[in-house]
Amino acid sequence: MSSLLVISLAAAAVFAIAALGELLEQRAGILNVGLEGVMLLSGTFGFIAAKTSGSYLQGFTVALLTGALVGLLHGFFSITLGSNQVVNGMAIWILGFGLTTYIGYPYTGPLGLKPFPTVAGLPTFFLVALALAIAIWFLLFKTHLGLKLRSVGENPSVAEASGISVTGLRYLAAILAGMLVGLGGAVYSLVYNPVWNYNYLQGWGFIALALVFFSLWNPFLVVAGAVFFGILWQLSLYPELLFPNVFSRYIWRAMPFVITIVVFIVLSTRWFRLRWGATKPEALGLAYQREN
Amino acid sequence: MPLSAQGESDERSVGAARERSAGRVVLEARGITKRFGTVVANDHIDLTVRAGELHAVLGENGAGKTTLMRILFGELQPDEGEIYLDGQRVRFRSPRDALRHGIGMVHQERKLIPAHTALENIILGHPKTGAILNLREAEREVSALCERYGFRVPLHAKVWQLSEGEKQIVEILKELYHGARILILDEPTSVLSPPEIVKLLESLTRMAKEDLAVIPFITHKLPVVLEHCDRVTILRRGRVVAEMETRHATEQTLAAAMVGREVVLQLERVEVPLGDPIVRVQDLWVRDDRGLFAVQGLSFEIRAGEILGIAGVAGNGQEPLAEALAGLRPVERGTITLDSIDITHAPVLERWRRGLGYIPTERREVGSIPTFSLVDNVLLNYHFEREFSRWGILASGQARELTERILREYSVVAAGPNAPARSLSGGNLQKVILGRVLSRKPRFLIACLPTHGLDVGAAEFVQRKILEAKQSGTAVLLISEDLDEILALSDRIAAIYEGQFTGIVPASEASKELVGELMAGLRRERV
Repeated sequence: MSSLLVISLAAAAVFAIAALGELLEQRAGILNVGLEGVMLLSGTFGFIAAKTSGSYLQGFTVALLTGALVGLLHGFFSITLGSNQVVNGMAIWILGFGLTTYIGYPYTGPLGLKPFPTVAGLPTFFLVALALAIAIWFLLFKTHLGLKLRSVGENPSVAEASGISVTGLRYLAAILAGMLVGLGGAVYSLVYNPVWNYNYLQGWGFIALALVFFSLWNPFLVVAGAVFFGILWQLSLYPELLFPNVFSRYIWRAMPFVITIVVFIVLSTRWFRLRWGATKPEALGLAYQREN
Repeated sequence: MPLSAQGESDERSVGAARERSAGRVVLEARGITKRFGTVVANDHIDLTVRAGELHAVLGENGAGKTTLMRILFGELQPDEGEIYLDGQRVRFRSPRDALRHGIGMVHQERKLIPAHTALENIILGHPKTGAILNLREAEREVSALCERYGFRVPLHAKVWQLSEGEKQIVEILKELYHGARILILDEPTSVLSPPEIVKLLESLTRMAKEDLAVIPFITHKLPVVLEHCDRVTILRRGRVVAEMETRHATEQTLAAAMVGREVVLQLERVEVPLGDPIVRVQDLWVRDDRGLFAVQGLSFEIRAGEILGIAGVAGNGQEPLAEALAGLRPVERGTITLDSIDITHAPVLERWRRGLGYIPTERREVGSIPTFSLVDNVLLNYHFEREFSRWGILASGQARELTERILREYSVVAAGPNAPARSLSGGNLQKVILGRVLSRKPRFLIACLPTHGLDVGAAEFVQRKILEAKQSGTAVLLISEDLDEILALSDRIAAIYEGQFTGIVPASEASKELVGELMAGLRRERV
């Protein structure tokens, strides 16, 4: 049972790191529904780099750069060109899926490196995810930069009037987010399950995306939700552990999405709004053009 | 700002004396001219603001106040003229540029982020905020500002929880915190009840005494201006028609200067014999967007040929009340009857068919679809009628004819019936909306802020049409934030405060003072 928990934490690290990246950019008003694509691209390029060089460091570096580049691209389309962010995100997913299938095919198979070291028996990257959650919480709520980022996500024209560069901050958020999401993809392909196969990610990017909404844009709830979703995923791999013969693995796998929908229903109730006020960044997914 | 130490100490000693108007000139605008096409919005305007005085700019809608304000805080560039700060010529390329020079602007529409606290809004974007937020230090500083000028506002409350008056204070604090020494306020009194106005102006006076130049731009409420401001500049049709010290002015001289020699058409309230009650509202409870009860047990009736005016400061439940009556917001409790038929939960279409007409507050959002042609906009109120749609096919000829008639009868200035609604000015668009509704000969008309933001001519036209509708037997519910309009048009006046009526008085017994106190919640009449 404890080994189930450890492997769940390893899965949670992937969800949490990617979701924390997405949370950061959504707080600044940018929505990227193509997390799956970013993670596939970063994970695959990181995998290829690590496999050919034999170095984890190079693998992660390539993954971070890839993520930053895709983030920049998403930023260019949704910030500078002001195009529809959902459509962009879908395009990134399709691009990521197609490109990685094409480029990654010759590298199909195991990574062939020593397993990534753990810390006191715990998955290293789960600890990284925890540290990131604290850092992002501090950034968002305790620093001026964070206040500016949140303002840009709530009401860009007010932010602009307060002397803040909306464009600059949104680019910053998009690139940082791309790097974190890319890191999440690499943690999957290099550490959690270091065997490349086409479409190896099986929708984990979408779970991470759902996790951001589930968390109500709170970094700590992202980690808690990631652990929860991680356990659900492990149960889907070993459905006989709990309620054997009742729940098939596909029901366990659908759970994160079902739960997210339930959270959304609760979110939209009058009771919730009265109790907690507005939660969603008001300008999420909306393009902003400076008036002249 | 460069400022010679000697000059400053001199001014201080002078400022201590009663002769405040002799203060140093802080802001001077000379010969400001701005044209939009053929319209001259500002025609060689001079404005001199001295430290230590509260200097109001008065003018009716369309007098050029907005243009002047936008030029002063850098949003517009003047075609001619210069601006001097402390005797030095300046040019503002943007509002941020103006703020760097110490000019702060408090807009009529709030520039705050509702999800953030008041304090977060105030410190947002200020360089001295530092990389890591020191909210305690910021709070100390902002509290000191509050103390100094007599403001009271919960700094840790989220802005969406604040009243309109509190939000305005937050904006003022934000500008001060960001180093504004010249504060321009756009209609600061419009969202406040009369006692709140007095409090605000007292605070502004304190600020003016401390070497800040405070310039409120005001359309109405002349008595308060007289009482609290030291000096006024009066604009009419883009020109300065007078600049005077208020101690030499009376309400009459101000009004005369604002309106000019034009004949002020005092609207004659025509008493028509009241008919049967058309609308009856019993114990109505309605929630606002936040889920709170914004309308709390209102009861009233309106008879044929009667105008019931709802007087109140913005945000006291007028909007939810109108929306509930129009069928756009669910009724939690209570009943609404129209001609004795219960329409409490009736769909919008049924209400229209039964003779309801609705003029919403937002003419460009709820009242019209800006990208649609005028014909299509008119059709929005008629598409369900047989003559306008047969078997689902629109009778475009009919619609066009009706639109043309409206354009003619309401003297709308538009390129034609196919012009898009967004190409019309606010006044002309309002005439179209009004004509569209009144052509249906409604039994019950709900008019929300029908003249808000219109120039004098259009406003008067709209008011006359509403009076005509009343004379032809329509029951009218008039919601307005302009107390003068309410007093001039209504047969009975209901003052609303926090979702409840604090009094319903017949027009013959209503004075400005009485209604003002009622709408501030300072007094309650038996309802």
